[in-house]
Amino acid sequence: MFKIFIIEDDKQLVNLLKEHLHKFGYDTKSVEKFDAVRGEFEKFEPHLVLLDVNLPKYDGYYWCRQIRSVSTCPILFISAREGKMDQVMALENGADDYITKPFDYEIVTAKINSHLRRAYGTYASANNERTTSVEGLILDVERLRLTLNEQEIDLSHTEAKILDELMKKVERVVSRDRLLEKIWDDQAFVDDNTLNVYVTRVRKKLAALSIEDALQTIRGQGYRLVPNWRHM
Amino acid sequence: MRLFFREQLALILFYFLQLVVITGIYWLDGYRHLSISLYAAFLSTCLLIGYLFFRYITNRSFYQRMEKQLTSMEDFTSNVQQSPLAEGLQQLLKSQFRHYKTDLHNYKYKLEGHIQFINQWVHQMKTPLSVIHLIVQDEDDSRFIAIGDELDRLKKGLDMVLYTARLDTFERDFYVETLNLQTVARSVTSSQKRIFIRKRVFPVLEIDGGLQVASDEKWLSFAMTQLMTNALRYTVEENRKIYFHGYKCGINTVLEIRDEGVGIPQSDLPRVFDPYFTGENGRNFQESTGMGLHLTKQICEKLGHRIEIESTINQGTTVRIIF
Repeated sequence: MFKIFIIEDDKQLVNLLKEHLHKFGYDTKSVEKFDAVRGEFEKFEPHLVLLDVNLPKYDGYYWCRQIRSVSTCPILFISAREGKMDQVMALENGADDYITKPFDYEIVTAKINSHLRRAYGTYASANNERTTSVEGLILDVERLRLTLNEQEIDLSHTEAKILDELMKKVERVVSRDRLLEKIWDDQAFVDDNTLNVYVTRVRKKLAALSIEDALQTIRGQGYRLVPNWRHM
Repeated sequence: MRLFFREQLALILFYFLQLVVITGIYWLDGYRHLSISLYAAFLSTCLLIGYLFFRYITNRSFYQRMEKQLTSMEDFTSNVQQSPLAEGLQQLLKSQFRHYKTDLHNYKYKLEGHIQFINQWVHQMKTPLSVIHLIVQDEDDSRFIAIGDELDRLKKGLDMVLYTARLDTFERDFYVETLNLQTVARSVTSSQKRIFIRKRVFPVLEIDGGLQVASDEKWLSFAMTQLMTNALRYTVEENRKIYFHGYKCGINTVLEIRDEGVGIPQSDLPRVFDPYFTGENGRNFQESTGMGLHLTKQICEKLGHRIEIESTINQGTTVRIIF
């Protein structure tokens, strides 16, 4: 299990990060004493460090240099400062990457995953592969594959994102707005019709696994995935 | 030279008056030798001319400087001639300048402190924003969506404060590089996707993938975000588009942001770049500070880009950034 050390002085933020990272199977620890960060680091021996710039007593750059003198593990800065110079400063002090506040959960996990993979080899991702499963229907977001009863089909990136969202909130209504938001970054051009087209495609993919009428349209609200394949 | 003569005119007049009075007294007393009198007057005038000449030479640079306009603040401290009057004036100016400079320095220091404070404060506020952002992120409930929308407004407001404060120290805070226009436009539209979706207005990017501009990414993105939020705010009908059109015009690259919104009245158009100007649209729509376009224009000027705006009522507004 990978260990992640969180050096951040806002307790709420630390708790949210911890909660999120636990879901992905990471072991986390946050700093208790801000004047002995290096000692705590050496005791915990983490695989990766999340580091804030503005800290009590010494700033993040200082601790970054301190950690660098004893370890080569990936260090990711989390900071509100979005200037080019601040990022250059961070990298020059030995950091590997930079995340600006406010950030999305997805960005944090994506960056953590990619740095762990780079630092500790490809087996790193095997630990926390992202799959969602509902009543035997398994979605592998990384490999873009949908499986039911040993029957497998490939999905496009956008289709996988839509299904992922619907499966996470199974039997609940997911609004059109939310789905549009999710697929936005993959598309050069998004509008209401784009979503309609993709929902139709997802329905076809589900039909290929002999799932019919599971993806319901709720007029004026959004879509709902009903796991009606469980009796099959 | 002219100043010198004006200054010495009284002395010259006084001298000639005295010459006439003294010669007159001797004349009335009975001493009536014209040639001797003229000779004495001639000698005496020569002495006066000698004295004036000497005065002028010793104070020449002083007078010359008095006649010349100052081009910069430090101008007067240059070479000075050794004469009591010039030196006295120099001392006075110097001490005055010193006081003035101390005052100016104090204000500068205060302003810098203020900017630093704003900077720090804005950055500190981003931590609670991050926390709220993370809490509402995975929720799809209408209340959380409303909180998310308000959060977006807060974020935008904070950015506005930050960038306004930074504009004065622009020179220390920018980094020009070659940017891909399409990538920048895409990341800007993507960062505002929530508002696009909420308003059911969608962006259309018509920018050639190879189009590049030399600019600062952060400032340019901020300026584009301002233009885009304006376009969004004044598009009231659903299912409209906002067009981002990038093209080459001669040697310049142009980015055009066109909306199909309410447009700006002709009478307001010349003033839209003025600070705090909100115009008719500002009164009809909420959330107008009158600072967005003003800031955008200033940023464009500092980056060396030109900005143009044209608009037709009920048809839309087009803003062009010419790189």
